[in-house]
Amino acid sequence: MLRESMQITGREVDVRGVTEGFEDDLDIPHAAALVEFAEAVVVRDEPRAVAARAALLPALGAAGLVDAAAVIGAFHGFVRIADAIGIPYTTAARGSDVPELRERAGVNTFYRVREDA
Amino acid sequence: MQTKSFEKSTLPVRADLVEAHERAWAAIAAPGTWLTGGERVAVAAEIRNAHPCATCARIKAALSPYADKGTHDSLGVLIPAHVELIHRVVNDPGRLTEHWSVSVLEGGLEEGHYVETVGLIAMVMMMDTAQRALGLPVRTLPVPIAGVPTRYRPPGAKKAAAWLSLVEPEDAVEADGSMYPSPKAGYIYRGLSLVPQSLRDYWALANCHYLPGEVVYQFDKSIRAIARPQVEILAARVSALHQCAY
Repeated sequence: MLRESMQITGREVDVRGVTEGFEDDLDIPHAAALVEFAEAVVVRDEPRAVAARAALLPALGAAGLVDAAAVIGAFHGFVRIADAIGIPYTTAARGSDVPELRERAGVNTFYRVREDA
Repeated sequence: MQTKSFEKSTLPVRADLVEAHERAWAAIAAPGTWLTGGERVAVAAEIRNAHPCATCARIKAALSPYADKGTHDSLGVLIPAHVELIHRVVNDPGRLTEHWSVSVLEGGLEEGHYVETVGLIAMVMMMDTAQRALGLPVRTLPVPIAGVPTRYRPPGAKKAAAWLSLVEPEDAVEADGSMYPSPKAGYIYRGLSLVPQSLRDYWALANCHYLPGEVVYQFDKSIRAIARPQVEILAARVSALHQCAY
């Protein structure tokens, strides 16, 4: 979904960043601060989250920061449905999640993929 | 604690998101398909209780997630299999296996209990995480509403594509109620379909947090206050940190 949302505007993204971290020059506004915010929330590091919010508020505005928090929340739900019900991950993104893309993104190192191999 | 989602926020929060949370909490308090309102609120309490569980911390740190046979730090309301389901899905969702899901069912839960509980976990974690992300306290749990679960099982449900039974779009019947925005709805949409009311409750909330189904694949559209690639970089990173292959 990230790759497709970039391609629609003629931009590319190295999907390895999903697991390895993104380069600073990624062509998404405030990408580094957004990723820092997401990571702080996932690992429940409140001081990091406070700093990330302080960095993002002037950049995104209040509505943008709220929407970023809402999306981070949403994916705490989606992943649990996918992983607890055991839906086939090969069908993600309407089947565009091809093996080569999973390999490049580092997804093939995930536990479930290794268990299925 | 807050008695209403976002009520202590100093930032303005869009009304549809506030309303979605209030509808979701009301749904959580009401009798479900397999669980009573009391059991559903007890599940919500156990979800919040799971994070500091010492057994879960050892499991999370271990290379082999099923070697530790310790007892979870539970509130003591739900049966052990139910607690195991909640704690593993909350704390280590990326390392669940089909074998583990079978063991949970063999521990005394029916498929409907399992799927309804997963829907509750997804909803509570979605809402509580958004609150935490904004530095807000979580909302107080609702008071359970009395009533009897319907125990409705869709006649078209079958176990084939996933570890639990699903209702494929072509197998849905009128008695299931509305479930799919499209016959091509992805498996993430079908995940809760064994319990159609859980599917509807979940997606009513998720559509407000992320994007409604009708715009998900319209990558040139942004209906949020951040651009679509910004939405997707958050989504991708959160999913990867959870080791979610989907």
